[in-house]
Amino acid sequence: MTSTASEVVASPARPHRVTLRKTLIACAVLAGALLLAIVLMALLGSEQLPVRASLCALASFGTSTCGLSQDQFDILFQIRLPRILLAAAVGGSLATAGAGYQALLRNPLAEPYLLGISNGAAVGTMIALVFFGASEWTRPILAFTGALAATLAVYRLARGRAGATPERLILAGVIVTTFLSSVIVFVTVLMDATRIRSFTFWLLGDLSGTSKALLPVTIIIAIAGALALTLHARSLNLLMLGERDAFDLGVEVGRVRIVVFLVASLLVGSSVAASGSVGYVGLVVPHLARLSLGSDNRLTIPAAALGGALFVIVADTVARTVIAPRELPVGAITALIGAPLFIYLLRRA
Amino acid sequence: MLEARNLTVAYDYRIAVADVTLSLNAGEITAIIGPNGAGKSTLLRTLNGQLPGSSGNVLLDGEPIERLSRRTISRRIAVVAQEAELRFPVTVLEFVLGGRFAWATHSGWGWETERDLHVAESVLRETELSGLSARLMNELSGGERQRALMARALATEAPILLLDEPTANLDLSHQATLLSLVRTRCDRHRAAALVVTHDINLAAQFADYILLMKQGKTIHAGRPEEVLRPEILQNIFEIRVLVDAHPVTGAPRVTPVHERG
Repeated sequence: MTSTASEVVASPARPHRVTLRKTLIACAVLAGALLLAIVLMALLGSEQLPVRASLCALASFGTSTCGLSQDQFDILFQIRLPRILLAAAVGGSLATAGAGYQALLRNPLAEPYLLGISNGAAVGTMIALVFFGASEWTRPILAFTGALAATLAVYRLARGRAGATPERLILAGVIVTTFLSSVIVFVTVLMDATRIRSFTFWLLGDLSGTSKALLPVTIIIAIAGALALTLHARSLNLLMLGERDAFDLGVEVGRVRIVVFLVASLLVGSSVAASGSVGYVGLVVPHLARLSLGSDNRLTIPAAALGGALFVIVADTVARTVIAPRELPVGAITALIGAPLFIYLLRRA
Repeated sequence: MLEARNLTVAYDYRIAVADVTLSLNAGEITAIIGPNGAGKSTLLRTLNGQLPGSSGNVLLDGEPIERLSRRTISRRIAVVAQEAELRFPVTVLEFVLGGRFAWATHSGWGWETERDLHVAESVLRETELSGLSARLMNELSGGERQRALMARALATEAPILLLDEPTANLDLSHQATLLSLVRTRCDRHRAAALVVTHDINLAAQFADYILLMKQGKTIHAGRPEEVLRPEILQNIFEIRVLVDAHPVTGAPRVTPVHERG
């Protein structure tokens, strides 16, 4: 009996199932890479910082300046590090949300940006900016509301007699995205010229302007959201293969659907409120995770979260250094990398 | 084990199942036969709690099924559907292990136990899929996929099996193998099975009890020899049939007579 089981687990051919051990190893590797990326990207920027001293300061968690000037220390700890951590939180949130939508909607193309959910969050944020400008907290709250409203709209639109087929879903997503884009354009036109430029920049994904207060919230939501979805990973594994089958096998489909929609909307809402609409992360990162690690969500969701964080950190570093001292919106970089990468992935499939 | 009492299922202003009473007993295979639209699949879906009945009861081990949790039901009833939605790549082993979900201690997360693996291995052997356990589901042929669906249902270790046209995509040899599997389960493990099928002769050979449905109603029910009679079948299917005894097995054999000219 035991030898048969170990035969199954230790097969040298393709890994045909995911175990706790494999998950922990993969996540440890990704977390290590993430940590490395945080440190390395902190050293890069329009302002040259002394490498040794910066590493020393980072290692001491900011308790010692290690010989850095006050200006350099501030650049490192007040500007770059918060921005990098925000990039990680946004990337992790969007990739996790993407993985969640793909599993729940049984569609490898489901992504917050393509489904119009990011636009819903953007509209929510805009309403917060225009009507409640002074209060920062209204932004993530209204972004979450906008994301949720867009999710419900897409889901409702996509339901036909046969349930939400992938084709109907994409169509519904396109309808909602374009409608909300027009709303955004409409409101933008009502703004004055100076605000339009910075707002358009923000819409394309901008990590430079976030306030200090929102950063911890965004990080907490990213971690909590990834955990929440991972805890439903086994249900999602079954849901991915058909709602009816999942139901037959014991999954409480209605409950899981509500949890995923709420958590994913929260993740998208907090990301968009903090940094605008960063596209392609929720599409490309989970795809890459599934291609290299298999479709088991117990592994792909945490892997996507860590991978998404990595992806956006790197993209944002490119965005702020490639034409320094000027900056590009990070969403432009993720799209420039993401779209060709996605075409490549599609062709491989 | 599983019963329907005066069950009526109506939706979209249409009565799909009208006042049907049936009981699945341990060790028995019950086949449901009827023309398209007779309500067979609707009946099956109501029996596992997926569709709500409009009136009447579905009782699982004596309890009304609406009162039971999803998990309790899936430990007692397993469904073998006609085909699987395979939009994501998944290996045969992972697919079959999905059947162990109902036994997970923490729903939603958690990892498969040694027991889960042992059961999966054993059902893969039973369905002759051991050699394919590492392959991706969408690399398999239609027949192999159907066996994987069967394996997953068997992996749940549920004593009640509901099969919705399980032999639809199978070649002759695999049709017999699949139903023999069901027969063995019923004989050896005292399972109860309900098979919705279009294949009257297969039902005649394997079923202990046949229910003939038309337009949601039970027209006739009983042992194959009682039910599969020309007058009854002609009434249901509106086609002339010839019924004789299978020369080898002795089971009723139904042959349609097609009018020429």
